[in-house]
Amino acid sequence: MDLTTLGGQLLGIIPLGDIVLYVTTFNLFMSVAALVFTVLIAMSRTEKQVEAQFGTLNDREKKVSKDEFKIRRFLSIICGIATAGAMITGDLFNFTLFVTLIGIVNIGIVSAVKEVDVLDSAFQYGIIAMLATLPLFGGAALILGTTGTLSMLEIVNIPTTAMMLFGSILLFIGVAGESGVAPFFATKAEMFRTAGSPFLVIIHLSSLLVIVRAIEILLIINKPF
Amino acid sequence: MNLMAEILLNVLIAFFIGSLLFGLQRKVMARIQMRPGPPIIQHLLHTLKFFIKETVFPKTAAMPFYVVITLILMAIWVAAVIIGPVTHGPLLLLFAIFAIHKIVEHNAGSSSGSPYGKLSCVRAVFSAAAELPLFAVLIIIYLKTGTMDLAGIIAYQDAHGALLLSIPLTALMFIVLIISKSYYFSPFNITLAKDIISGFETEHFGTLRGFIMMSESITWYMLVWIFLTVFIGGLSPIGYLIGMVIVTAVIGLINAITPILNPNHSVMAEVTLAFIGIVGSIAMIYI
Repeated sequence: MDLTTLGGQLLGIIPLGDIVLYVTTFNLFMSVAALVFTVLIAMSRTEKQVEAQFGTLNDREKKVSKDEFKIRRFLSIICGIATAGAMITGDLFNFTLFVTLIGIVNIGIVSAVKEVDVLDSAFQYGIIAMLATLPLFGGAALILGTTGTLSMLEIVNIPTTAMMLFGSILLFIGVAGESGVAPFFATKAEMFRTAGSPFLVIIHLSSLLVIVRAIEILLIINKPF
Repeated sequence: MNLMAEILLNVLIAFFIGSLLFGLQRKVMARIQMRPGPPIIQHLLHTLKFFIKETVFPKTAAMPFYVVITLILMAIWVAAVIIGPVTHGPLLLLFAIFAIHKIVEHNAGSSSGSPYGKLSCVRAVFSAAAELPLFAVLIIIYLKTGTMDLAGIIAYQDAHGALLLSIPLTALMFIVLIISKSYYFSPFNITLAKDIISGFETEHFGTLRGFIMMSESITWYMLVWIFLTVFIGGLSPIGYLIGMVIVTAVIGLINAITPILNPNHSVMAEVTLAFIGIVGSIAMIYI
């Protein structure tokens, strides 16, 4: 098996010392998609949520204040860049670092909102994200201990062992917890009720793209053939 | 044929055939309900109509995201046509495109500031938890065939027979995903359900709505195309057309006789089916 079996044509390798980035059609597409969304988030204004009021004919507008806008936009841009990095990295340890960074800034994007329900949700998500770092780094450490490398370009040529399978299961649990996908999703759904559409989309984008990339990485570690 | 001409031709075919298939689906549903139903070209006319309507922008919208998101939707499905029918590229890339489609649904809903759009946005987040595992059943194809490349999967089926017969559970799960993306009264399409008017489309008008509807026709064409290619093999153009008509008519029948599920029931049903599909298919391959 080689990397092109999964991600299509290998377009190039970028050696940066120990960190080797590789670019297949799949990685490039996802990384560029993350960057395009990041640029749009940097440019975009937030929407105004309009809700009907009971007892009167007036509307209630929910707006994002200027201070809140600035900090959330900054964190969203960091999240977008981290997502793009996670899509293109060829190093398992860097992937886990990017995923952890995504988890931290996701909490930050929502914690800046002054709404009790949203803050509760962010707090619960934060606890799960913190707990998930243990299996995330533990999984990567087991794979390093078993194979002697964290480079996916090398791991793809090493036959799968039971310990690599166990490590990859831990890694997937870590990624699921950090990105807040099912079955940890209930903690995160409330976060999307608040205003600030461009900032919320990066939370969703980072989660889904990281999961798609994690599937590729799991198939690289656990070669069925 | 010149590559650019081939891409353009395939995108146009995807749009026209996808629109007509939606029209067919509506016709089948109407006939089951003892109504004459609209003509089959109605969905196509409906789409084209939006391009000559005035485009207005809500003053609450998050600009420029509100506008650009429709173009992103169009761009990703044009990319899907290039990866699929034109180049027979990697299946994993189509999975990535589907993930971005869910993000577009999310942002198209939330960027308008409308409560209907916002509800659709929250539902898009919920439904992603169900639809992505359903798309992920295609990983089973990799375990079976040893390749993620569409050309390789077609070659495998030429040698070993259609995958529909050897891993039918996987095919069934993918059909559930296709049902969730059918435009008219799908039991699983909670983001466009009529209880939230038109969901994430509600506040997009004129040309923007036209682009969204055009993209949805291409989405339908591509999902059915992926199903036929991955589970039956490379067909002739007539074979694809017949296959698409059959799949669309069957899904029209399903939509006509099933209730529209609420979000929780829809997501739980899809997640359960995805779990059965993944575990069952792996058991069928390795046991």
